[in-house]
Amino acid sequence: MSSRLRVVAVLLTALVAQATLLTEIRIQGATVELMMVIAILAGFHGGPERGALVAFFAGLLQDSLLSVPLGLHALVFPPLAVAVSSLEQRMVRSAPVADAVALLLAATAGILTVAAVGLLFGLSPHDPGTFLARIITAAVMTTAIAAPVNRAVRWAVLGGLPPDIKLRAVGS
Amino acid sequence: MAAKRPADRPRPTLLILLVAALTLLTLQFRGLQPLDAFQRGVRDIIEPVRSLSDRLTDPVQTAWNGVFGFEALRMENERLEVELARMRGSALTSEADTELLNRLLSEVDIAYSDFDAVVVRILGQPPGNFSAHMIEVDKGTDDGLEEGMAVVTGAGLVGRLEQVDRSRSLVQLATHPDFRVGVRLVTSQDEGLAKGTGTEGIMRIESGVRLDAQVDNDEVVVTSGGRSVFPSDIPVGRVLDPDSDADYRRSIIIELAADLENLSFLKVVLPAQKAEGAR
Repeated sequence: MSSRLRVVAVLLTALVAQATLLTEIRIQGATVELMMVIAILAGFHGGPERGALVAFFAGLLQDSLLSVPLGLHALVFPPLAVAVSSLEQRMVRSAPVADAVALLLAATAGILTVAAVGLLFGLSPHDPGTFLARIITAAVMTTAIAAPVNRAVRWAVLGGLPPDIKLRAVGS
Repeated sequence: MAAKRPADRPRPTLLILLVAALTLLTLQFRGLQPLDAFQRGVRDIIEPVRSLSDRLTDPVQTAWNGVFGFEALRMENERLEVELARMRGSALTSEADTELLNRLLSEVDIAYSDFDAVVVRILGQPPGNFSAHMIEVDKGTDDGLEEGMAVVTGAGLVGRLEQVDRSRSLVQLATHPDFRVGVRLVTSQDEGLAKGTGTEGIMRIESGVRLDAQVDNDEVVVTSGGRSVFPSDIPVGRVLDPDSDADYRRSIIIELAADLENLSFLKVVLPAQKAEGAR
């Protein structure tokens, strides 16, 4: 199966999961941002360009599902994927806890940015009293499901192959 | 010299994607129909899967609520019993206050129960984290529903249809910050524009009512009709704070009459001509 088909399969499966099962699971009104975690992980595994492309289409699908203007999530997800990819390249070594914290921060930033851009385009998405609590809850829930999603996204963007190994000359 | 790998040139790609997203947003705000149709199409395609999932998860949800919501249900039952007793008491004492009560009731009841309506079932909150003050219901354009129609319960106004797909619709609740409705204060007969506050059960009238108008606590508020898309005389709620001391701009707080807690069904009010056509 080609990489594109795998990405399409993962995105469509995620869309259905977001629309069905994950909508039912809510804590204080907050729910998992599955498409956002795919965008973040696509940036992490696929590099900035591939990550941005996957993130864009994840955002478009998310916009189609929700009652928000088409392009809102598609505007926010690609820079998020590129930022995550950039951070990943700067990390000396990867540790599960550090990765989880980074994912939590990325998810929080992503949800906040979507809310901010939404406000710019005239959306009033949240109850002012519960705004922060809801965003943090959503980010924590999103981080909690990252492990199984991580495998799927890695399979989709890398095809099960190990990532490229960069060789650097010592002293250069 | 080796060609640059795609991973090494993210900026042009990112720029193109951002421009594409901004273009889509702009076109949507300019009301380009194909984009709406695309969104509706995607939702309609996954609708059968969602319906199936709803049916499959219903028993699980019921069991979950039975186990973890029992205490809340018991407290709600107690609250309703207290409320019922209070209402019985009010009914008895109202005999001494018949003139005002009759006037209020006649205002509230005029034609409200005569509206033609479609009964819809509440499916829950729509997907995503940007759906506060919105609920999803199980009927759509196939059942004659259209965007903008008023949604009510037996107690009064709940909201309006915000987005209507073939077999599902989104209801924007009256508490949504973007919700606006023309209202009339029954006793003073002043009219104003009420808006959602983002706080559960509360709306606010911020324009229209005169500074010197006599508005009392508990005064009944109904929809004003007129040029509004909502029919007139749908109960909205009661005045919680008349803001009688306002110097410049009056902000009257309304407690909504309709309470969605533990409700399963709502009514969508059909406009008069549509209801006649349906007969």
